[in-house]
Amino acid sequence: MRRTSSYRVTAALGTAAFALSAVLGFVPAPAVAADPVIKIGIDLPVSGADASIGIPTQNGAILAIEQANAKHAGGNYTFAPYALDDAVQGKHDPAQGAQNVKTFIADPAVLAMIGPFNSNVAVAEIPLTNDAGLVQIAASTTNDTLTRPPNAAKLRSTHPDTNAFFRVCTVDSRQGSAGAQFAKRLGFKRAFIIDDNETYGKGLADVFDAQFKALGGTVVDHEHITSNQQDFKALLTKAHSMNPDVIFYGGTTSTGGGLVRKQMADVGMKGVAYMGGDGIGDEEFVKVAGTMANGTYYSIAAPEATRLPSATAFVAAYKKRFNADVGPYSANAYAAAQIEIAAIVKAIKASGGKMPTRAQVLRNVAETRDFDSPIGKIGFDKYGDTTSPILSLYEIKDEKKVFVNQISLTST
Amino acid sequence: MDVFLQQLVNGLSLGGIYALIALGYTMVYGIIELVNFAHGDVYTLGSFFSLAVLGLIGIQGELHGAPLVGVIAFTIVCAMLLCGLVGVLLERFAYRPLRNAPRLALLITAIGLSFILENIMQFWKGPSPVPFPGFFPDAAVTLGGVLIEAKQVIVVFLAIVMMAGLQFFVYNTKLGKAMRATAQDREAAQLMGININTTIALTFLIGSALAGAAGFVSGVYYGTTWFFNGFSAGLKAFTAAVLGGIGNLAGAMLGGFLIGLIEAFTTQFISDQWSNVVVFTVLILVLVFRPAGLLGESLPNKV
Repeated sequence: MRRTSSYRVTAALGTAAFALSAVLGFVPAPAVAADPVIKIGIDLPVSGADASIGIPTQNGAILAIEQANAKHAGGNYTFAPYALDDAVQGKHDPAQGAQNVKTFIADPAVLAMIGPFNSNVAVAEIPLTNDAGLVQIAASTTNDTLTRPPNAAKLRSTHPDTNAFFRVCTVDSRQGSAGAQFAKRLGFKRAFIIDDNETYGKGLADVFDAQFKALGGTVVDHEHITSNQQDFKALLTKAHSMNPDVIFYGGTTSTGGGLVRKQMADVGMKGVAYMGGDGIGDEEFVKVAGTMANGTYYSIAAPEATRLPSATAFVAAYKKRFNADVGPYSANAYAAAQIEIAAIVKAIKASGGKMPTRAQVLRNVAETRDFDSPIGKIGFDKYGDTTSPILSLYEIKDEKKVFVNQISLTST
Repeated sequence: MDVFLQQLVNGLSLGGIYALIALGYTMVYGIIELVNFAHGDVYTLGSFFSLAVLGLIGIQGELHGAPLVGVIAFTIVCAMLLCGLVGVLLERFAYRPLRNAPRLALLITAIGLSFILENIMQFWKGPSPVPFPGFFPDAAVTLGGVLIEAKQVIVVFLAIVMMAGLQFFVYNTKLGKAMRATAQDREAAQLMGININTTIALTFLIGSALAGAAGFVSGVYYGTTWFFNGFSAGLKAFTAAVLGGIGNLAGAMLGGFLIGLIEAFTTQFISDQWSNVVVFTVLILVLVFRPAGLLGESLPNKV
């Protein structure tokens, strides 16, 4: 017995040493090629205040990859998720996102990536994926300038003519104007706008500002808050003195969306409504704002998966696999992963079973048209945006989200 | 006018919290010339300890009358004792061994400790803002169109009481005298039979206890706490200490209230995003014309 166990230990050590040398690159390339793995990078904030929306998004992508493997979609190749976290100090961080993308690019087995979650992180990542020709599909970054000219050209400075960044969600020019229409329909006339000065938050708030005015509403003031701010009482006192019937917040819960709502109670604004975009559409918002979360309206740049007949199978599979309900962007991430897997599979076939190149995968993704996914048929327009943008509107009642309406928009 | 008075109330409440933290910065600087960057995190730790104590008591719903006073007194004393203990431990194990090392070594240690405390707190309660139990009544009075919350009264009241107590302690007790002597000249104080180790530890105990009290107060005031709060609050409090004249107790208090007021009024009359800019512009202007701060350094210049 002793002999066997010591033999096992030796064997284990040998394997460990082999694995270590493989990691350090001492083993010649052909030995590694025996186990063909194609990795799909996933960059999302999965710790901290963004985790409550980041983790379900990541799970959506992982589910698609696991299902593809179960069906042996890749033939000899196995797909593996390569998930990294871009949250630092509890919040999404552009520098960390860029670092993660560099890690993906450095790994030749990574043929595509999903993410990021936040638009300011995307600004830091797009130049890198454009340079490396690594295809990137985002499930939730809604800022217009990421794909639309003239700003998008600046992000693609290495290869201005090729685009490697796609997204399956709609853009903030639509989200903001839908928000403004929603506000009008709810009967709000005077809006006080606050944004977090980030790419996403300011972009969304600016659109809401312009659209709400265009619809005949009054914007009493538009203020910007700073990073890591905790005290909003002075700002809300100012808001209160201007007598708005709604406060619109452009930003995420992690940049202050929850605290602003919570502190409204302290300055006598309990009865004033609160609105925002998908940045406050996470469970974290309700956790931070508590009972004040009630009376909040927000939009999500995706369909409500639990209501879609096409997503029934996905929702059930997600629940079975993760023992949790789908998040607002789970289905989007699932669809993004499906598109990438289909593109890789097509490329494997085209190259006769050989490992495809990133360029092949990118080309196939760009050519995606009428792709069947749980969130409907998806294609990409000339900017890399989805051709079937959908928005869902929600209200928070009794500290639970309640679906209000869905808006389908046609791409232009 | 109503809005002006309302922002005055907001500014004083915010300033009260800054002032309580600033006292700890100024005391420690006064005695060992260290900018204790971990102090802001001790303040956050105060709110975390309060949260733990309130959890142990098992508070449910709003309290009134004697139970309310009892819970506040008990929680604040616990938070102060625990934070005081943390301060003493930091001094004993991190700062004392470096007491005769170059100043820079101490400073880097303080920054390192700040990161360690932040990460411990992140590990303890998670990286999201943590709600405080709402035991404090939502009571408020409207005085001539100005809404004054009970919470705001408590913040300012506690800050002033603690400041007065500290002032009395430092200027009217034997231990306070020992502190002042140590601050003036450590060697001479030692020759006069003052135990400087005990005295410096006592300074950390008191300064950190005040930060603990501020932590409790901020938890009640905002209804939430967050592991990273101490970073910006600490920076503002340090600014308050410098503005008032570092090493000067009354100066720290004055600086704290001033910064709170500047922030509130900038938000009202200019814009929220400019409040930090205005605070630091005022700081620079004050330092240009009064390099030792508003109330000047009450200690002899040693370097």
